[in-house]
Amino acid sequence: MDALFLDFYHNTGFYLWDYRYIIMIIVGMVFIYLGIAKDYEPLLLVPIGFGMLIGNIPIFKGLGLGIYENNSVLHYLYFGVTQGIYPPLIFLGIGAMTDFSTLLARPVLMLLGAAAQMGVFLTFLGALALGFEGNEAAAIGIIGGADGPTAIFLTAKLAPHLIGPIAVAAYSYMALVPVIQPPIMKLLTTRKERLIRMEEPRDVTKREKIIFPIVAFVLCCFLAPAALPLLGMLCFGNLLKEAVVTERLAVTARTSLIDIATILLGVTVGASTQGDVFLTTASVKIFVLGALSFGVATACGLLFAKIMNLFLKTKINPLIGAAGVSAVPDSARVVHMVGQREDPTNFLLMHAMAPNVSGVIGSAIAAGVLWSLMAH
Amino acid sequence: MPKRLLQKTMKARVFCNNFKSGGGHLYGLESINASNGWAISIVGISIVFSGLVSLSLVISQLYKVLALYEDPSKITAFFKSKKSKKVDEKEGEKIITIVLTRSQKETVKQFALLARTLDDHFSLPRLLHLAQISGIKDPYPSLNILLKMRIVESDENGFFMWKNEVSDRAVR
Repeated sequence: MDALFLDFYHNTGFYLWDYRYIIMIIVGMVFIYLGIAKDYEPLLLVPIGFGMLIGNIPIFKGLGLGIYENNSVLHYLYFGVTQGIYPPLIFLGIGAMTDFSTLLARPVLMLLGAAAQMGVFLTFLGALALGFEGNEAAAIGIIGGADGPTAIFLTAKLAPHLIGPIAVAAYSYMALVPVIQPPIMKLLTTRKERLIRMEEPRDVTKREKIIFPIVAFVLCCFLAPAALPLLGMLCFGNLLKEAVVTERLAVTARTSLIDIATILLGVTVGASTQGDVFLTTASVKIFVLGALSFGVATACGLLFAKIMNLFLKTKINPLIGAAGVSAVPDSARVVHMVGQREDPTNFLLMHAMAPNVSGVIGSAIAAGVLWSLMAH
Repeated sequence: MPKRLLQKTMKARVFCNNFKSGGGHLYGLESINASNGWAISIVGISIVFSGLVSLSLVISQLYKVLALYEDPSKITAFFKSKKSKKVDEKEGEKIITIVLTRSQKETVKQFALLARTLDDHFSLPRLLHLAQISGIKDPYPSLNILLKMRIVESDENGFFMWKNEVSDRAVR
């Protein structure tokens, strides 16, 4: 009888606990708190946070419970992450809910989305300098793209062992966009620049909106074929939305499908942060690099907008350059808020959406480029 | 991808792996150089830029191409000489057709009567003043319609002229 109880006790979390699991459980609770109480990306932070709780309950190895055990249910769900299945599904949904009108009205703003991708490549260099291997550095660099699904997709292809820290870093910083970006925006712009009012965009016809995803897909994927899974789904989703006749499919893509993919991705990524494999010096370095990459990407977008103003007749508000990081639509919202603090009658949201959505395309191309360069 | 860059990247990786399997670890600029990091970054950002620049160029011309598709007559106009093109544009501007309501037609007739009391070349404020003291309904929007329909047209010397032909056509 005593032996039975003792055996059972040895299989409980109270016996198997480790300080690393406790730390990760606390981190998970903080994520849930930030999501619910502070409203920071709740749709992502709550599933990831709860996933952290799931992944960090001390378990007896061999029962097929842990995410890294081959026969466990979590392992099968995690398959969608490791094989890069969920990110394209999320991109399909993003495409089906994105309106590219402002981008079509002022295509020049697309350059801001490209400029912000410099953060990806500078972080790549930073990661190499910190001793990461090329493929790992590429996966870390893509955090600067501020695009969770893209970061997970590329990491799954190049450095699957880093999915946990990279995904958590990417999503944490995406949630912290309202905290990270405003100080950089204020530092790099003058009040006069922040007060610039943007020109009203022209009306965009339905035909343009329908043709855009097809042209964008063909052009970008001819240039960077490795971006195909992400850009293909993004453009396909957008075509479903704009074609009108496929409204039912578009509605599914932007509601049920993206929600299911987000839940599965969030929970499994969270569960993959098991304390014993997650809490390493490499993870700390990744978090530091991730924060730097967000800052650098924001700064690059802002500075490029200022450079563009030297050549443009009608000046643009350089704040919208910060929306070039592809955290849609949070960074555009932050740009709008910072602009409104200076002038409450200045509405920048619509204008900031142009570099914001081009940032999504840009980060997908950057991921494709890194994948094809590093995979060989 | 450029083949040479790929070959260099592969060589760099073999070098790194050999170095690490020997127990060493590269950091800083050494690591960047050994992994061909500079070249990869420059090529990478160039590809991202060229992709988005070419896309933005295509998009910026897209609506013009669509406008030609929607109105094929513009294609023929495009091939006409510059001079005739200018004339065409001017004529095109003249043929602005606004369907007037019965009351608007009445207003145009009243403006026509007022214009007759003025010189051939008259000032717009004068016509507006007469319209106001004559009690014409909504003189400002009505005058705007007259200008848009080219019933009242500038003589390009600061004065305006009343175009009887256009006015007659409008009230018919």
